[in-house]
Amino acid sequence: MQYGATTESWYVAAATHAMDPLERVERLASENAVVIFSVSTCCMCHAVKRLFCGMGVHPTVHELDMDPLGRDIERALARLLGVVPPVVPVVFIGGKLIGAMDRVMASHINGSLVPLLKEAGALWL
Amino acid sequence: MANERTLVCGVQGSFHTSTKFFDEAESDYFGELEEALIHGDPITSSHGPKKGIVETARPPTLEIFPSWPMRHQHHQHPTVEQRKSEQSVESSEESGSVKDTANTTSTGVIAGAQSQVQCRGRGATEGEAQKGLVVIMANGAPQRTGAQQPPPSAPQIQYDNSHTEKKKIIAGSTRKDGKLLDAKTLRRLAQNREAARKSRLRKKAYVQQLETSRIRLQQLEHDLQRARTQGMLLAGCGASGEMSSGAAMFNMDYTNWLEEEGRHVSDLRAGLDAHLIDNNLSSIVDDFITHYDTLFHLKARLAQTDAFHLLTGLWTSPAERCFMWMGGFRPSDLIKIVTPHLDPLTEQQVIRLCSLQQSSQQAEEALWQGFDQLHQFLSATLSSEPLSTDVGADVSNYAGLMDIAIEKISSLENFVRQADHLRRQTLHQLREILTTRQAARCLLAIGEYYRRLRALSSVWATRPRDRALIGNETASPNTVTDLQTIQQSQYAHYSAF
Repeated sequence: MQYGATTESWYVAAATHAMDPLERVERLASENAVVIFSVSTCCMCHAVKRLFCGMGVHPTVHELDMDPLGRDIERALARLLGVVPPVVPVVFIGGKLIGAMDRVMASHINGSLVPLLKEAGALWL
Repeated sequence: MANERTLVCGVQGSFHTSTKFFDEAESDYFGELEEALIHGDPITSSHGPKKGIVETARPPTLEIFPSWPMRHQHHQHPTVEQRKSEQSVESSEESGSVKDTANTTSTGVIAGAQSQVQCRGRGATEGEAQKGLVVIMANGAPQRTGAQQPPPSAPQIQYDNSHTEKKKIIAGSTRKDGKLLDAKTLRRLAQNREAARKSRLRKKAYVQQLETSRIRLQQLEHDLQRARTQGMLLAGCGASGEMSSGAAMFNMDYTNWLEEEGRHVSDLRAGLDAHLIDNNLSSIVDDFITHYDTLFHLKARLAQTDAFHLLTGLWTSPAERCFMWMGGFRPSDLIKIVTPHLDPLTEQQVIRLCSLQQSSQQAEEALWQGFDQLHQFLSATLSSEPLSTDVGADVSNYAGLMDIAIEKISSLENFVRQADHLRRQTLHQLREILTTRQAARCLLAIGEYYRRLRALSSVWATRPRDRALIGNETASPNTVTDLQTIQQSQYAHYSAF
């Protein structure tokens, strides 16, 4: 698991302040095979991180509370999912939105998560 | 009104009852008529719009003349004419005008009016009948006159007390006038009666409604009491005082859920034994799974207000509670329990079951780690301030501390919901993988397993406490048999399995 280069992103964001949060989300999501938007103190986020690690996947984690623009990203994610914040954890696989914890769990139980991971190149078996 | 009725009774019964007389429309009509008479307005002109209503109306004066047949179609005209005739009778005491007006329509009423007038000097049967009536009316007149409002009736009233036949007839006519003038009062009285009757009916209906509601309320209260005590017993009496209302309700709901589950189990068993075709069995299976879904829904609802209750498992039996995982069964355990009963399984099914087992284990592990981290955070928060200091010394810090702790605890709801979600998904996936018959057997196995677990709880709870003591003493025949009976009674619980 590598923590998302939020510091780099921050410098980039400082330069491009006007970037739409949604665009930023999409950009970050497409950078890696498995991207998780999280909050460092959230225990459910911890659970989802452990899930992927347990499967042998190395997700990229963006801690929104460490990001100066984290609030906007959280709001953008909430809009994407159609729910009220707090919304984390939110998982993207291969640039595609999977959803929050319950979607991830459901897809894992019905066996659709592993093929997605393989397709995104996050898992080799 | 009593006078009116006496009149009706005295008559040969060819009258209709006064109820028809007191028809609303009639009353309106007569009110208008009476006013018209009083003010001397031409009556016919005012009756145009009311023609339809009047067709069915019967003039009150008709009832005074019993021997003439009652015909209701042409009431308007005869009434009008009769009244006119009566009026002219009063004023002129001549029959001529009556005859004139009688030409308009030929009805019994008009004939009655004519003969009434003609009878003045004769002792015809009708006249005598009239006389009798007139006498009755005359007797009733004083009462009647009391109710009259318009002054013009006064001279006519006084006329009532004369004794000549002519005068009597006139009295009859004035009687009629008195009655006409009374029409407003009559109408009012009629309306009052009607209103009183309606309100009595309404009251009756309302009282009946109240009665049934009361009975239903009693039943509901009784059921509630019963279920609540059952719920309390399930939870363990000690904790009942501290239980939140939501938790108590949930316990009740869970008890009902268990009862229903028993029904589903027996339905399923019957279905399997009957070797139903897959379609029918499938619907029973799906109903059972929907039943589980309702339980998860109930739990999710309680999780919002009282996640602790779900996690501590006070709603289940002690044995279940002891080995509970995050407020319910552990999905991978369930799969392990169920798998032996599903033979024969195809290879595809075996693979799928295995992967289901693995995924659920991974998910459980992840959730558990998250839950554990919550616990670690909470511990850290609660122990952040020096534990040895008195709370009162640093209230603001304490409050802040509590705020953080509460925030952490609020995410408990999330964990319980995710755990239930995992359970629900596992059940649904099992349904996907298995055939209908296998799914039926699977559900029966789950039902039976938990039933045994609950039975174990109750057997354990009711076991004799002094068994250890008995074991140490020299076994006398009595105690041996006692032991045996105790053991037998305990094994009897198992015989049902």
